[in-house]
Amino acid sequence: MSPRRERRSTLVLVLVVAVLLTLLPLPGQLEALRPYWVGLVLIYWALELREMVSLGLAFLIGVLLDVLTASLMGLNALSLVVLIYLVQRFRARLRFFPPWQQALAVLGLLVNDQIIRLWVTSLLGEPLPTWRYWLSPLVGMALWPWLFLLLDRVRAGRRRASS
Amino acid sequence: MARLSPSGSARLFSPEGLRTARLMMYLLMCVALMAMDYRGHYVPRIRSAIEAAFEPLYHLVGLPSRAVKTVTEYSRSYQQLLDENRNLSEVILQQSGSIQQLRALQEENLRLRALLEATSGRHFEFRFAEMVQVNLDPFSHKVIIDRGSRDGVFPGQAVLDGTGVMGQVADVHFGLSTVLLISDPDHALPVQIARTGLRTVAYGTGETATLLLPNVPQQADVRLDDLLVTSGLGDRFPPGFPVARVTTVDRDAGETFSVVRARPLAALDRGREVLLVIQRDADATGPKENMPGNNEPGQAAEDSQEATE
Repeated sequence: MSPRRERRSTLVLVLVVAVLLTLLPLPGQLEALRPYWVGLVLIYWALELREMVSLGLAFLIGVLLDVLTASLMGLNALSLVVLIYLVQRFRARLRFFPPWQQALAVLGLLVNDQIIRLWVTSLLGEPLPTWRYWLSPLVGMALWPWLFLLLDRVRAGRRRASS
Repeated sequence: MARLSPSGSARLFSPEGLRTARLMMYLLMCVALMAMDYRGHYVPRIRSAIEAAFEPLYHLVGLPSRAVKTVTEYSRSYQQLLDENRNLSEVILQQSGSIQQLRALQEENLRLRALLEATSGRHFEFRFAEMVQVNLDPFSHKVIIDRGSRDGVFPGQAVLDGTGVMGQVADVHFGLSTVLLISDPDHALPVQIARTGLRTVAYGTGETATLLLPNVPQQADVRLDDLLVTSGLGDRFPPGFPVARVTTVDRDAGETFSVVRARPLAALDRGREVLLVIQRDADATGPKENMPGNNEPGQAAEDSQEATE
């Protein structure tokens, strides 16, 4: 198996897990704490393997996520396209941040993302969400260093398995 | 060096400019998609096709919560089961009592209708369905149930739970359907006030706890705690099913209409089991069904499904 194909299969696998985690029902109040799994995974991939995550891919995954979570078509696509654009734009800087600083940057990206979603849904006439709405980016930030290490491990493991 | 070049075209084709141009393109596509999904009719078809392709994923996601449910059911004590059993038998006894009475009323109703030479009305059958436990966007006001085209579900079919109207079927796949809840801001439900018979329309507000009735005349007789039932107009929801209770009535002297708010009776955000309503003509002899939503484009497909039943 070529290394390139191997990396692509790893990305697909991790994305499927992220989508499943997004759809998995959580009891009551925990629902608001769910981090933006697909967003976090794509941020990681855009940072580590720039050539694999293009804006087009972000768009396609976003549309898929829109359908699966029954949200407004294009909402997740918009969110992911903006997210990946920002990561690509500041990639050189983000990559050399120490982990805690990188986690702060991720928090910034995720809060920005929630603001975009809020803007779109309020245009549709939805009522404003409660303060819990802003917990998800915080959870994302707290998870980021661990997720980073985990995905590094996953990629290294898959590379070794295929060679 | 493209960056040092003073001409605009060179900057446009630098990697940076190219990326911005592509961002703009994708943003435009997103906005177009959202506008089309909100107002148009093409996107639902694309959505439906992708949803159908990923149907197994929903079943997969629903597995853990089903497993948890099974485990908790197994681990209940003998005493708990006995208690529950006794309670349920009591409920059944009470309900079968009232059903006997209802049946007598129904017969009488049919006889009277025959005397008046009116149409013999409709009767309803219910089919049990369960929500697939999947986390959807809370802004979408949709739930997924585990019945689809193989069970004869059709778009526009009314969905109830044990206490009131929940919504209508929006999209049908092989083994799953999505249900649009009455709380969706785009949903309008023809209702009447049970006490007075006043007919109006209840709109969703985006909050699961509130329905809005914006066009009730000022002098109309509406009181707190009035029960709203479906009026059956619009031919989609069967008449007479409870919908909501009035919670606030705002009468502003300067306005033509008073603004009435009501709280839905159905557990829109926490239910598990639902009922699908099947309407039939009471005097129909064959399996031919009088379906609501006869003007739906998918009618031909539904007919063929009924024929195979």
